[in-house]
Amino acid sequence: MKQRPPEPEHQPLKLALLRRVFQHTPEARPARNLLIVLTILRSVQLPLLAWALGAIINGPITSRSTTGLLWGIAGYTALLVVTDYVFHYRIKLALHYGENVVSRLRSELFAHLARMPMQFHHEHRVGGLISRLTSDIESIRSGVQEALFVSIVQGGQMIVAGLLMLWYEPMLFAIVAAVGPMLFLLTRKFRKSQSRMQRAIQESFSRITASVTEAVGGIRVTQGFSREEQNAGIFRELVADHSQYNIGAARSTATFTPLLELNAQFFTAALLLVGGWRALHPDIGMPIGDLIMFLFLATLFFQPFQALGNQYGTAISAMAGAERVFTLLDTPPAWEDAPDARALGPISGRVEVENLSFSYAPDKPVLQNISFVAEPGMSIALAGHTGSGKTTLVNLIAKFYLPLSGSVKIDGHATTAIQTESLHRQLGVVTQQNFLFTGSILENLRVARQNATHEEALAAADRLGCRDEIEAIGLDTVVTEQGGGISLGQRQLVCILRAMLADPRILILDEATSAVDSLTEAKIQQAMTELMRGRTSFIIAHRLSTVRKASLVLVLDHGRIVERGTHRELLRAGGVYAGMYRQFVRPAL
Amino acid sequence: MLGRLIGLVWRHRWRCLFILAIQLVLLALGLTGLALAGMGVDVIRYEIESHTAPPRWPFGIRLPPDWHGMPLLAVLSGSIAVLALLRAGLNYLYGMSVARLVQGEIVVRLRGELYDKLQRLDFRFFDSNASSSLINRLTGDVQSVRLFVDGVMIPAVIMVLSLGVYLIYMLSIHVPLTITCLIPMPLIWILAARFSKEVYPRYRKARRLFDGIVLWLSECLQGVGVVKAFGFEKRAMEIFEEKNRAFREQQYTTFGMVSFFTPSINAVTQSTLIILLGYGGWLVMHDAIPLGAGLVVFSGLLQQFGAQVANVGGIMNSAQQSLAAAGRVFEILDAPLTVRNAPTPLRPAAVRGEIRFENVTFAHRGENQPSLREVSFSAEPGQCIGIIGATGSGKSSLLSLVPRFYDPQSGRVCVDGCDVRELDLETLRASVGMVFQESFLFAASVADNIAFGQPDASPEQIERAARMAAADGFIRELPEGYQTVLREGGQSLSGGQRQRLALARALLRDPKILILDDPTAAVDAHTEQEILEGVEQALHGRTVLLATHRIAALRRAHWILVLEGGRIIQQGPPAELARRPGYYQNLTLLQHDHETEAA
Repeated sequence: MKQRPPEPEHQPLKLALLRRVFQHTPEARPARNLLIVLTILRSVQLPLLAWALGAIINGPITSRSTTGLLWGIAGYTALLVVTDYVFHYRIKLALHYGENVVSRLRSELFAHLARMPMQFHHEHRVGGLISRLTSDIESIRSGVQEALFVSIVQGGQMIVAGLLMLWYEPMLFAIVAAVGPMLFLLTRKFRKSQSRMQRAIQESFSRITASVTEAVGGIRVTQGFSREEQNAGIFRELVADHSQYNIGAARSTATFTPLLELNAQFFTAALLLVGGWRALHPDIGMPIGDLIMFLFLATLFFQPFQALGNQYGTAISAMAGAERVFTLLDTPPAWEDAPDARALGPISGRVEVENLSFSYAPDKPVLQNISFVAEPGMSIALAGHTGSGKTTLVNLIAKFYLPLSGSVKIDGHATTAIQTESLHRQLGVVTQQNFLFTGSILENLRVARQNATHEEALAAADRLGCRDEIEAIGLDTVVTEQGGGISLGQRQLVCILRAMLADPRILILDEATSAVDSLTEAKIQQAMTELMRGRTSFIIAHRLSTVRKASLVLVLDHGRIVERGTHRELLRAGGVYAGMYRQFVRPAL
Repeated sequence: MLGRLIGLVWRHRWRCLFILAIQLVLLALGLTGLALAGMGVDVIRYEIESHTAPPRWPFGIRLPPDWHGMPLLAVLSGSIAVLALLRAGLNYLYGMSVARLVQGEIVVRLRGELYDKLQRLDFRFFDSNASSSLINRLTGDVQSVRLFVDGVMIPAVIMVLSLGVYLIYMLSIHVPLTITCLIPMPLIWILAARFSKEVYPRYRKARRLFDGIVLWLSECLQGVGVVKAFGFEKRAMEIFEEKNRAFREQQYTTFGMVSFFTPSINAVTQSTLIILLGYGGWLVMHDAIPLGAGLVVFSGLLQQFGAQVANVGGIMNSAQQSLAAAGRVFEILDAPLTVRNAPTPLRPAAVRGEIRFENVTFAHRGENQPSLREVSFSAEPGQCIGIIGATGSGKSSLLSLVPRFYDPQSGRVCVDGCDVRELDLETLRASVGMVFQESFLFAASVADNIAFGQPDASPEQIERAARMAAADGFIRELPEGYQTVLREGGQSLSGGQRQRLALARALLRDPKILILDDPTAAVDAHTEQEILEGVEQALHGRTVLLATHRIAALRRAHWILVLEGGRIIQQGPPAELARRPGYYQNLTLLQHDHETEAA
């Protein structure tokens, strides 16, 4: 059995954090303050209504005064109208306020993530970051929209009802006061058992989800290996386990809710007994109206216990969410453009790498003392096994990372001294991933050139020699999440076209390993060649044909350039490259 | 759909009735408690002000005349307490009965059935539905379906029952008062129904907008390389802002509705109290009804009545939700199973591995264009057949007919001369090993992954399979060797390692037939070599069908099939095909040109 995380009940409310949440959105402050006033008003109004009801029964009705009754009703109605008006604004303002706070948080979160350098994104899982936006910010929402304001209303209602009861009959209020702590303890215990159960439910549920996810993803394997029966058996166990926790949670609700209600009932019984004795006793002679008043007020007094407990839970989870969100927002980017960084004007595309070294983790150098020069328009092929440092090298050229030592210079300017955006505007990439956003092809092309028109896109496709293919795909075709809609080869073409539209001076191409038929393949090759024409290109090559055409081949091994030269020169040299080449040409089979 | 949901309730009718019976008793007890408290007030009042009417006992109960004052109050108060205890017990029973029925039975059963069915559906179903949607059906949708039982049917019946009981009780106190007080009630009903009609579509729309926000963030994170490389950050932020604003404004309209309807429903409920105060107060003043058992009890009844009426909105929404979910759940349960075992399946003791396709034509369900047209060929035991053709030419369809993932519309697929439809499915699949384009590995240890098809395999068998697939070497270098747990479907392994593991998994049962569906599609040339090394060792003594588009992978093939548009357009030994003009020759030349270069 795994160690359970500490009970959330044992967490105190962290006031600094709450203050930060409530002060986070300056433009919403007037609304927030008005809201506080309204909630306080409402917390008085509710007991006041109950009191008025009691007072009318107690006064005009028992004393049989028709005019009194009419006045009473008029007053009561007026109070009701005002109360409901206040209620309307309280709800509206609270909902708006909460939305404004989380809406701003969402924007800040996105802007912050966009600002974070590549390293951050490599170190953080997408799912984790998304849950900041979804579950964490949403729990802040309920915290802001509900916890404080409902607590004020409920707490205030309880206090005012208590005070009224105390003022009428201190003796009877003593009974209430005696029941109070019991209720408090009950509520506490209930919340604890609930949160324990909820955690168990969530854990067992995530096991179910994981199991279903695997079943869906691995369906081919499951059917191919006839594992249906076994999987179903395992799944049934998981479901049964989950259902036990669900029933457990239901048991705790089914135990505590009636117990809480029982309290109120016992109070009524005690009230009748003690109140009756006090009313009947000639020395005391408590008016019967007080008894009725108590019956009304007592409900108002008991109600908030459970509500306040729930709000406490909401506040705790809002706090936990806020803590995670603010921790992320407070994490500064590992690096940003220097304040005196210069904007890069139009470049010719000369790239000079000098003594460049880099590592992601200390003691594990990924690149060591890399030096070379790429003149404008040259194509540099990077060859080497997985893990030799090819990807890291292009990432440094693209300024996704900063060099640890040495430098990368673009047209003579070190990448550390220029504004990143001004470089990226003159850069184009085609990644192996062939990433496209959900949306139309044209929308995807506009990532490279904002406001690109149909004509511009087709003209660019023309220059790549793939206009027919792009027209066949259709610029308005929508690509869906899993890359549905178009084939892999078409996807590659769209990515090449996207890079073309950026009209970059420097190109980074991570060649896709071929998974397309030969005809599409030939088309892609042609488009790539057109794209590279006149641009400084860096290619992580997987095809010898690409390498063959490169102006310069750099062979990397364990972070060093071990060979350099053209394809022919390297073959003649008979070194590492020639060995790799033989592997291509004479496979084992 | 509604009928099937009601059928679900009918299946559990006795337990539902039991639950309703408890509720009915609870209702009665609650009302009795309320009545007793009211009586208490009247008893006290009568004691003090003897000119008022004496307490009227319901159901014609006559108390002994010497029962009055404190002893009577003690009895009343004691009764309230006892009733409260009874109620608490019954409430517990009610809560548990519902939980046992819906969580312990309905959900468990539905999930089991769904999972069972899902596993047996053909792959098309999985390809045409987003995986998240399929997962949702087993998780969220099942819960929404059971909501029909404990969120729609039971509450609806309870609502009708309690409204009836409240009404009768109120009528028994005073008929004109009841009618007057209930005049505004239909307004609550209308408001609540309007509310759910206006607000829930808005919530759903907001939900969609929010999903759009999440999708955008998720894609910008997944494609962070593209975002940064094109300097797209600012524009991405603007797009996010637009989406954020659209969502916020949608929320505002919802908020407007919520903040209008909630106080309005409140106000209507309270207006009945005003009527009660005026008319009821006048009645009390004229001794037409008692103060406690009349006015006080009536105000309690009115509040409960209003609460039940306002429930309508919630029930209606639950009903909509469960109907929508039921559609998605039953879609899976109703999907036809195309592949079933023959009534008396053949279970040959040993499979030799001869494969024959006779005029096979096959189209996926719901598609007009056949994926395979009149395909005929045969493979002798131990032969390696290479299958080439462009994407979409029918390679995968052809391969999937051998282990009978689908049945052809016409023609026969035979293994050892026997139509696969007559063979026992499990026997057939146990003799066919498969490796797919991208292999799915499970979040389990390496050993468990290899032993997937035969969980009771011995460590020796597992290692033997791994050695055959040239995987033993890298497995031993993993932190915990064969016991290393693969996280996230083996993403920590390289593409070549994953494929060799998949090959070992396929070889564990020592299948006579090996099907390789483009196993080197998603890897680079170097990794391709790694995989092919594994494949080469595995070929011996097996009939192999290898689909690929890489010439390098075909050097060991005895026979090549060239597919185009579902037809075999060329076939023959590789050496002969290389001499004939056509797809194979083109491919050889093209890839030769790419990959061989006279230095």
